[in-house]
Amino acid sequence: MMKKNIITLLFLLTFGFLSFGQATDSFVSNCAMNAGVNAKYLKDFRIQLGKAATQSELRYKANMSLWKNTKYRFSLCNTEGSQGQLILNIKDDANKVILSSFDQKTGKIYSFVDFVCNKSGMYQLNYDFTNGQQGSGVGVVSLVK
Amino acid sequence: MKERVLLLFIIVFICFACRNSSNKKGEFVFPEADSVPVSEAEKLSPEAIADISKNIASPVEIANLLHMLEVPFSQNYLATSIDANKQSTNFDKALKLGILGADLGYLNMYEKTSSSLDVLSSIRKIAEDIKVGQFFDFESIKRLSMNKTNLDSLLFISINSYTQIDNYLRSNDRGQLSALMIIGVWIEGQYLATQVVSQFPDKILSDRIGEQKIILNDLLLLVSPYCNRDLKFTELCKNLQNIKDKYRDIRITYTQGDPVSVEKDGGLVITQTETSVVEMSKEQLEGIIEITKNIRNRLILNN
Repeated sequence: MMKKNIITLLFLLTFGFLSFGQATDSFVSNCAMNAGVNAKYLKDFRIQLGKAATQSELRYKANMSLWKNTKYRFSLCNTEGSQGQLILNIKDDANKVILSSFDQKTGKIYSFVDFVCNKSGMYQLNYDFTNGQQGSGVGVVSLVK
Repeated sequence: MKERVLLLFIIVFICFACRNSSNKKGEFVFPEADSVPVSEAEKLSPEAIADISKNIASPVEIANLLHMLEVPFSQNYLATSIDANKQSTNFDKALKLGILGADLGYLNMYEKTSSSLDVLSSIRKIAEDIKVGQFFDFESIKRLSMNKTNLDSLLFISINSYTQIDNYLRSNDRGQLSALMIIGVWIEGQYLATQVVSQFPDKILSDRIGEQKIILNDLLLLVSPYCNRDLKFTELCKNLQNIKDKYRDIRITYTQGDPVSVEKDGGLVITQTETSVVEMSKEQLEGIIEITKNIRNRLILNN
């Protein structure tokens, strides 16, 4: 009985770890492939956050240089189990918000935002889930023609 | 009761074993020379290095710009002289992995996928040599290269392979190889841009070359912990510093403005009205073209 339990447990753990890795890649790949016909994948940010103790700034931060004369698409995808929806804002080097996928006035959330960049520089990408909820998802950055 | 305790012990043991699996001996064996002394690695936090690496390492941005500008494809820009079998040190292998990655991005962007098989074979050989071949999905990339209809999947798998290699190297105390790979990607992208601009002068492209000043400091920061590691690193740091010196008097100025947003096809389109302006003379650009060519051509020499 004990031996059977151990074998089952080992099988479940091994299968669980392997399938988690594959599921993550497949989820990211799907998000990237659904970015649009003219969008070419550039990079992705994989985000997993618990529920925030307080709601203030968006919690996941990454720096990215964006280049003038380039149109970027920022696509946002959540996994099914996420409590909140993935949102993004981008700040420039003066800490000014230049882009937000979440309209605070209307509450509307966009699943993608196109950004026509005219100022090359370092930008801060900030991701979180709505209302600081728990969730996991991916932010894909693509180049758009 | 005993069975439950034993079961619990096994669960805890397996969880800890899996958490550290990437560091386990026996799974991969790395040459001792790859280990970075703690004092060197501590100069930059892992988060800072990851941030810089993720920001710089994109083998397709310059290629995309060339494609958008409708610059004709040329095989002459590629580092075809690199022989994967003649790379004797990990320094050379990691650097060439980056250079070839940028070439692969260029080939993919122009959909010259049948020509990319040689580059792919070299990448696989070098990746396997430095024990990161498991992250390079050669068969999928080859399959997608033959099937020209799926460029986005090809870009995703190629870039994702490089990202995984970079993450793996950094998290296994082989950050110096990650830095070399990133420098290789950057220098080849810079070479492509400078070679093209010398043949097809274009303001957008010359601006992009001038704007590299923005990330040059980060590039130097990434490699700085290893500059005294050996002669090859010292030489590379000196070369990068020489490139930086060529950028010293190039100015980037900014104009102010508020972004304009409109809804389109269910998404939001934001157009930035702030602009950056590059002030770079013809002589300064020529200086950058010259130094980039010299350094890159020295780097692709086989040992």
